[in-house]
Amino acid sequence: MMTVVNSCRYICANCGYIYDPGVGDSMNAIPAGVDFEVLPEEWICPLCYATNDQFDPLD
Amino acid sequence: MKPSVASLYQAVELQQEIPPLLIGERANSNGSKKFRELLLADDYDSCLKIAQEQEAKGAHIIDLCTAYAGRDEKADLTTMVRMCANALKAPLMIDSTTPECIEACLQLYPGRAIINSINLEDGGVNIRRICKAAKKYGAALVALTIDEKGMAMTGDDKLRIAKAIYSIAVDEFGLRPKDLLFDCLTFTVGSGDASLRDAALQTMEGIRRIKAELPGCLTVLGLSNISFGLAPQARRILNSVFLHEAVVAGLDAAIVDVAKILPLARISDDDRQVSLDLLYNRQVVDEKDPLMRFIEHFSGKKNDTTDKDQEVTRTTEEQLFYKLMNGDRDGLDDILAILRERFKPIDIINQILVPAMRHVGELFGKGEILLPFVLQSAEVMKASVTLLEPFMDKADGGNATKILLATVQGDVHDIGKNLVDIILSNNGYKVFNIGIKVPTETVIEKAREFQVDLIGLSGLLVKSAIVMQESMPQYRQAGLNIPILLGGAALTPKFVAESCVPGYSGPVVYCADAFAGLKSVREFEEGRLVSTSYDATTAVKPMKPGVKDRVLDRSNPVPVPPFIGQRYVEDIDPAVFFPLINTQALFRGRWGYRRGKSGAAEYEALIRDTVQPKYEELMQRAFAEKLLQPKVSYGYFPCHAEGNRLFVLAEGDEHVFAFPRQQEAPFLCIADYFKSAQEGGDVSGFFIVTIGERIGEEINRLYQADAYHEYLMLHGFSVEVTDALAEYWHGVMRWELGIGGNRSDKVRGAITQAYQGSRYGFGYPSCPDLEAQLPLFAFLKPGAIGISLTENMQMVPEQTTSAIVVHHPQAKYFAV
Repeated sequence: MMTVVNSCRYICANCGYIYDPGVGDSMNAIPAGVDFEVLPEEWICPLCYATNDQFDPLD
Repeated sequence: MKPSVASLYQAVELQQEIPPLLIGERANSNGSKKFRELLLADDYDSCLKIAQEQEAKGAHIIDLCTAYAGRDEKADLTTMVRMCANALKAPLMIDSTTPECIEACLQLYPGRAIINSINLEDGGVNIRRICKAAKKYGAALVALTIDEKGMAMTGDDKLRIAKAIYSIAVDEFGLRPKDLLFDCLTFTVGSGDASLRDAALQTMEGIRRIKAELPGCLTVLGLSNISFGLAPQARRILNSVFLHEAVVAGLDAAIVDVAKILPLARISDDDRQVSLDLLYNRQVVDEKDPLMRFIEHFSGKKNDTTDKDQEVTRTTEEQLFYKLMNGDRDGLDDILAILRERFKPIDIINQILVPAMRHVGELFGKGEILLPFVLQSAEVMKASVTLLEPFMDKADGGNATKILLATVQGDVHDIGKNLVDIILSNNGYKVFNIGIKVPTETVIEKAREFQVDLIGLSGLLVKSAIVMQESMPQYRQAGLNIPILLGGAALTPKFVAESCVPGYSGPVVYCADAFAGLKSVREFEEGRLVSTSYDATTAVKPMKPGVKDRVLDRSNPVPVPPFIGQRYVEDIDPAVFFPLINTQALFRGRWGYRRGKSGAAEYEALIRDTVQPKYEELMQRAFAEKLLQPKVSYGYFPCHAEGNRLFVLAEGDEHVFAFPRQQEAPFLCIADYFKSAQEGGDVSGFFIVTIGERIGEEINRLYQADAYHEYLMLHGFSVEVTDALAEYWHGVMRWELGIGGNRSDKVRGAITQAYQGSRYGFGYPSCPDLEAQLPLFAFLKPGAIGISLTENMQMVPEQTTSAIVVHHPQAKYFAV
C-alpha cells in the first residue's frame, strides 16, 4: 500500500535536536514513520523538553 | 479573482481601489545615481534601504534593477532579491531584460513577482523565453510597446505592438490577459522636439485603446520620462498632473519616485493649467507655445516652500511610523523636529509611536516578524522618546500605567526581565526595573514608594518558581492587592494557577513572554485582567522522554584518569571551542530567528545574509576586544555510590552528592551509573567552566545604552559560547579517560549525545536540585578563577556552567 509521507524534518529552536519522521523518537516511544504534524500534543523535545511549538520546519 | 501579486508577507491587487498602483523606481542602477554608486561599492545594505524607504513612502511594489556594465547583473540581482524578499512587505518587480537573470530571480522569490519587461525588439526571441518562465513561476509581466522598428510613438503603433505581444503571451504561452501590464512608453514633452509635442496624447491614446481592445489586460507607465529635461520642481508638478490624466485614460499602475508625487489638490490651479496645456499641446492664439509658457511659468519659482510643507504634512507621520516599523533610525531627529511643530511630544508618542509599536507587536504575534527586528523597532522608539523628552512637560506621561519589575531573590538572570522592560517601556508604560536578586521585602517597599499599578516578577530557575510561590502570602500580608505578573522558564500556567494564585488576594497572572506581559498590562487598563486559571481536565500533560526500561550494566570497566584531584586550566584559545557552538540553538532559540512562516529558501537567505554575518562579526569582536576569558577548574576523583548518593573522595575529605530519583519507571538516578563500594568503587569527573566576567560587563553596557538588539545578540552569543566551552571540556575529559574516541566531535554529536558518557548540569532535568553545587564548589575551588556562588546556588558570572562527568556507557539524559 502506498502511503503519502510528508517527510519534513523539524528542528528544536531551543537545542537543535532534529525530529526526523523517517527515524521517529525512541526516547518518547515514537516509531519511525510518524510525521511531526501528527505527533501527540503532549510530545516534547526528547533532549531539552521544549514543547512542540518550539520546533521549526527544516526542509 | 482580482489580479494581484504577492510578497512573502502580503498580496497586493494590481488594480487599486484608488488607482494607480505605485511602483517605486529608485532601486534602479540605471535610474538612480545614488543606487548605482552604492551598488558599485557593493553596499547591498544601503541599496536595500533605498527599497525600504520607498515602501515607507507608500510604494505598493518595488522595482529592482541592477543592470550595469561591468557588474555581474545576475549575482547582484539575486542577492538583492533575496534581501528584499525578507525585508520588504511590498512585492517585487524584477527589472531586467536578461532571461537568465529573470529566471534565477523567479526561482528564489517567495511570492508572485512582476517581470519588467518583455518587448519585441529582437523579433520575438527573449519574449518567448521570459513568457515561459512567467508561466512556470506564475509571474506577472510588463510588456513594452517596442518592436524591431523601435519604440512605438503613436497610439496606433502602441496598440499594434501590444496586440502582437498579447498573441504570444496569451495565445502561445497560455498566460492570462490579467498577467500582462502594457507599458505604452512616453517621451518627453519638455525637449521642444516638434515630433514629440503630442507624446502625452499619444501615450494616453495608447492606454485607452489597449484597455478597450485587449480586455482584461492592465496598463503601466514609467511616468517621469514625460518631463525629461525640465527643472526638478516643474517636473514634479508635470509628472503629477500627467499621472492624474493617464489614470483617467485608464492607467492602472505607474512606475514613479513615490516621494515626489503630489496629490492634485496640492497643485495650484495656475500650475495645473500650464501643465495641462503642455500635455495636451494646446496652442493659444497670440501666446507662446505651451512648452515656453510652462518653462516661463516655473522659471521664477524656486523650490516652493509652501508646497514642500504641504508635502511633508502629508507624509511625516507615516514616515515616522514606518521608520519605527523598519527599525531605521536615520533622520529621526529631522522627522521629529518637523512633527514637533505641529504636535505635542506626548501626542507624537501616543498617536504615532505607540500605535506603531503595537503594530510591530501584532506582527510578532502573527509570526510575521522576528524578535531581533522587534528590538530594532524598540530602539527607534527609545531614541524617539529620548529626542522628544527635552520638549515634554513634566506632567506629560504622569498618568501612564506604572509597573515594577524585578528578578526574584537568589536569581541573577535578567535577560527575560529586561526584555519585558524594553517592550513595556517602549509601549508607553512607566517601568521601574529594580534589578536582580531582589528580596520580597524590597519589592514591597519599592512598589509602595513608586505607587506602581502592577508588579512583574521574573526568574529563570526552578528555585525561583518556588521563591515566587512562597512570596505570595508575604505580598498579601503586606496589604498589597495590585496584580502580580509572573514570568520565567521554570513556570507553567498550572504552577501559577495552583501554587501562586491561592496565596495572594489580587490577580496573579502567568506571562509566557514579554508580549504576554504587555497584553496583561493592557487587560489591566481595560479592567479585565484576571488570575491565570488551569483546567486539569483539558490540559495537556507533557510526555516524559527518556529510556523507559533499562537494566544498567554493572560490568562496565572503570576508566583510569590521567591524574587524581583538581586542576585549573586558564590558557584556552576560544578558537578551539568556537566550532562547537550550537548555532541552531543560538540563531533560533537565543536570538529568535525562527523560521516562522517563511519557506526553507527564504529562511536560508535570512541566515546567510543577516544572521551568519552577525555571528561572524561577534566571534571577531570577541577576539579583537578580548571579551572571552575561558577558564576551567576540573578533576577526577575516586567515588562510590550508595542508593541515591554518590560519595566523592577529594583531598582526604568525603563529599556527598544526593541525587534525586525518578518517581516512575525506570526510576533512574545519576548515582546508579556509578559502582558501589562492594562493586569496587568508581571514578567520577567534575568540571566548572566560565568565559569570564568581561562579556557580561559588555552585555550590561549595551543594555544600559538602549542597544537592545545588540544586547540580545551578545547575550545569546555568551550563553552558547559558554555551552560550547563546556562541551569542549567534556570532550577533553572523555579523551583523557580514554572513552572519547576522537576529539573532533561536531556539534551534531554533542546535541544527540552520540558518544560514551554524559555530563549532567545541576538545575537541569536529570538533577534539578542546585544543592549539588555545594560539594562541587568545595573541591573544585573555582573562587581562584573568579567564580562564586549566590545564596540560591547560582554561579557568578552568569556565563559559567558546571557538571558531573559520568563515563557509564548507558548514561544519557533523563528527567526526574
